[in-house]
This record gives sequence, structure tokens and C-alpha cells, in this order.
Amino acid sequence: MASVSSATCLSFRTSIGLPVRIHNQKISKGLVVVSLGWTKTRNFPSSRTSRLQICAAKAETVEKVSEIVRKQLALSPETQLTPQTKFSELGADSLDTVEIVMGLEEEFNINVEEENSENITTIQEAADLIEKLVEKKN
Amino acid sequence: MKLHCFQRAFFHSSPSLIPVQLPAPMETHLWYMKPSEVKSESLLKEYLDILSPCERKNVLQMGGEELRKSALLARALVRTTIARYQINSEITPRSLKFRKNIHGKPEVEWQYSDDWHPPSLHFNISHTSSLVACGVTVNSQIGIDVEEKHRSIKHNVLSFARRYFSEHEVQFLAAISDPQVQRMEFIKLWTLKEAYVKALGKGFSGAPFKTFTIRSKSVPEEGFNKLEGSSLKASEIVVDSFDNPTVLTSNWQFLLLELANSHYAAICTEKHGASEGDRNVPVKLTVWKTIPFLEDECVSGTDAVKTICGL
Repeated sequence: MASVSSATCLSFRTSIGLPVRIHNQKISKGLVVVSLGWTKTRNFPSSRTSRLQICAAKAETVEKVSEIVRKQLALSPETQLTPQTKFSELGADSLDTVEIVMGLEEEFNINVEEENSENITTIQEAADLIEKLVEKKN
Repeated sequence: MKLHCFQRAFFHSSPSLIPVQLPAPMETHLWYMKPSEVKSESLLKEYLDILSPCERKNVLQMGGEELRKSALLARALVRTTIARYQINSEITPRSLKFRKNIHGKPEVEWQYSDDWHPPSLHFNISHTSSLVACGVTVNSQIGIDVEEKHRSIKHNVLSFARRYFSEHEVQFLAAISDPQVQRMEFIKLWTLKEAYVKALGKGFSGAPFKTFTIRSKSVPEEGFNKLEGSSLKASEIVVDSFDNPTVLTSNWQFLLLELANSHYAAICTEKHGASEGDRNVPVKLTVWKTIPFLEDECVSGTDAVKTICGL
């Protein structure tokens, strides 16, 4: 079950690819109350059921990942980090990336398989993978 | 030294590169640059000029001047290095095209016609913020990795090794009591493992570090150090692969060097026609320190290149 700590507007796609928006929901922990507004779209296949999947990782996770990256790469406080920032753009080489992954494993108590560690190239990707692995564990 | 200007000079004369013969089979060429020694803005502009638009974009996206510079120099080094071999008169640093193989390993995309076949040139680059290197071979896969000798490891060396290295390698590191020595042996081992994976060309996940051991053949406790009065065989580095014990890990040979007194460099190349029983044929290595378009210095046999193991 997804929980969102604060959101003014979330957009995502249902599993059948319909764009959906959640507006201004005050969400309490563990409970997601949503009112759905279907955005205007053609070809509305009403016969199909749709499962909602929220794909964006929590802001909190992204923040923790950023902190670990900052520490590992000894970045100056002025260095701007966005979720889309690539580790390579920050000067991380393969050893740095492996150390970052190790830092993330320790922080979140997860195990990242080698195949997945190659797919972690940005802060967002790391956060997304972490949430996936944490969810799988629980 | 004679200078050749090998780009056809119709619009403007391009800066020149001293040409070099392709390495022979079983020979490896290593070219390196130190970003701190490249200060000329106009030279940096010339380097930027030979990059493809895509490479230029990637360079400019790097965060910070130092990172941009080493990214720029890495691309400039690989382009100028390959162009030096004067494969044919059409090739210039700017005209070279690159692509990635199915596993993501960069290779040259030769533009060739029916009556011209390119040589089997292989290259691999590695860079840190303080050194950029490019290795070249003919007919052999190659992987290289360079790391600063005094690089700090944020994690405890043994925790790191237990997580990523093989059991044998963990034992080797655990047996070292001096933490400084342990850290340096760890870095040497890391560069060797990286070089192997890069030579295989399958990417980090294609050959997970835990699935193979790299060790010193005859005197394992001595680790990767120059043994006084040792024969070639005594300091040979070998790899054992667990996933594929029959896959010819005897097909790979390693060199470990100390470059410019500041970096460890590991070079892994394919051996051909080798089998376990064969006498080890030494690899010939030639090393140049370069500032492309400005100066080249062959540093083999000088203090800038200290062999640790494998030669």
C-alpha cells in the first residue's frame, strides 16, 4: 500500500496506461485516500479493471540517498543535487558507485544484486530500487 | 622528431599528432595524461573541438570544472590516441566514430569500404580526476583501470571485501595486519578486478566480483608486490573464475603498475594460443605520457612506470 507523506499533485499511469491525477489529498500515515479524476483521454476502455501503481519514491528516501551520496563523494554543500542527478556527473567512478550502493544497503537494510546495481545511475533510480526492495522484504 | 600533419589541409591546418606504429600482437600500448598539467585554454578548446556533439554535451553536463576537464581529456585522449596509428589517411581524431557493443563496452565504429578492412584494434580507457589513461592492443581484448594510490575508502576494507570480493581474496586481505598496507593491497586488487571485468566487456553485472578470484600465483601471501630478485613466474597474477571453471581464465594476463608515483594501473589483456603448460611469454608494454598536440614522452623504463607485478 503506498503512502505519501505530502503531495499536492501526483500523476501516474494505471496499469492499462490511463493517466490519473490525485488532487490535494491530505494523507494520513498508512492510509491513502484518493479521489480520482480521470484526465481527458480518448479511447477509454471502461470494461477493464485498473490497478493503481504509484511509482515515485518517497521524498524522505530521496533525501536519505542524497545524503549518502554527498558523504561518499565528499561534495561541497553548494553542490546542487536533484533526483535526476547522475552519479557520473558528480564524478563518481565505479568504486564510488559500489561504495554508495553499500552505504544504501546499510542504511536501508537491503541487499542489492549486482544486476541491479548497474541500473542505479541517478538518485531517483537508487531511491526507487530501495523502495522496491524494502517493500519486497516486508 | 619528425612531425606529420596528416589531416588534409584545405580549410585550416589542424594541430598535429606524432604518428606511432600499431602495437604488435602481445604488445600493449598505454597512453596517459595528467589533467593538472593541461592548463592552456586554447588547447582545451582544441580538444573540445574534436569531440562529437554527443560527447561535448556529456562533458558539459559534468558537475564542476575539474570533472568537466577530466571528462574532456578522456575523450580527447582516446580520439587522438587511435588517430595516431594512422590506420588510413581518412582518419582524424574528429572523424572517428564510436559505438557500444551489446554489453555496453565502447569500441570504434570503423567506416570502411569493400577494399579496406580495419585492423583489429582494441582500446579501453580509465580515468580519475588526476589521471586519464588509454590502453591499446591489436587482436586482444583489453581492460584497464587506474586508481589513486592514496584514495580513501569510506567503508572498512574487510566489510567491503566480504560484501564484494571472493572468499579467497577476503582471506588474503584479512591476513594483512597493517591497515595502510591492507588498504593499498585492496586498491591494487580492485584495479585488477576492474581491469578483468572491463576486458571481458560484459559490464559490472556480467562478471560479478564475487564470482572470480585474482591472486598472485606462486607466492600468494606476498600479495601484489615486487619480489626482490624474483623470476617472471613468481609474480604472475592469475584469475580463477567460479562460474565458468572451464572457461579459459588462463586466457587472460595481468600487469600491475605504479604510474607517475601516484596511481596504480592494472592492465588485463587476452593471451592467445596459451595453455597451462606453456612457458609464460612476457608481455611487452610501452607507456607514453602525453599532452596531445603538444608533447609526448615515452616513459617506459623511467621512474614514471614502476612494474609491480606481471612483467
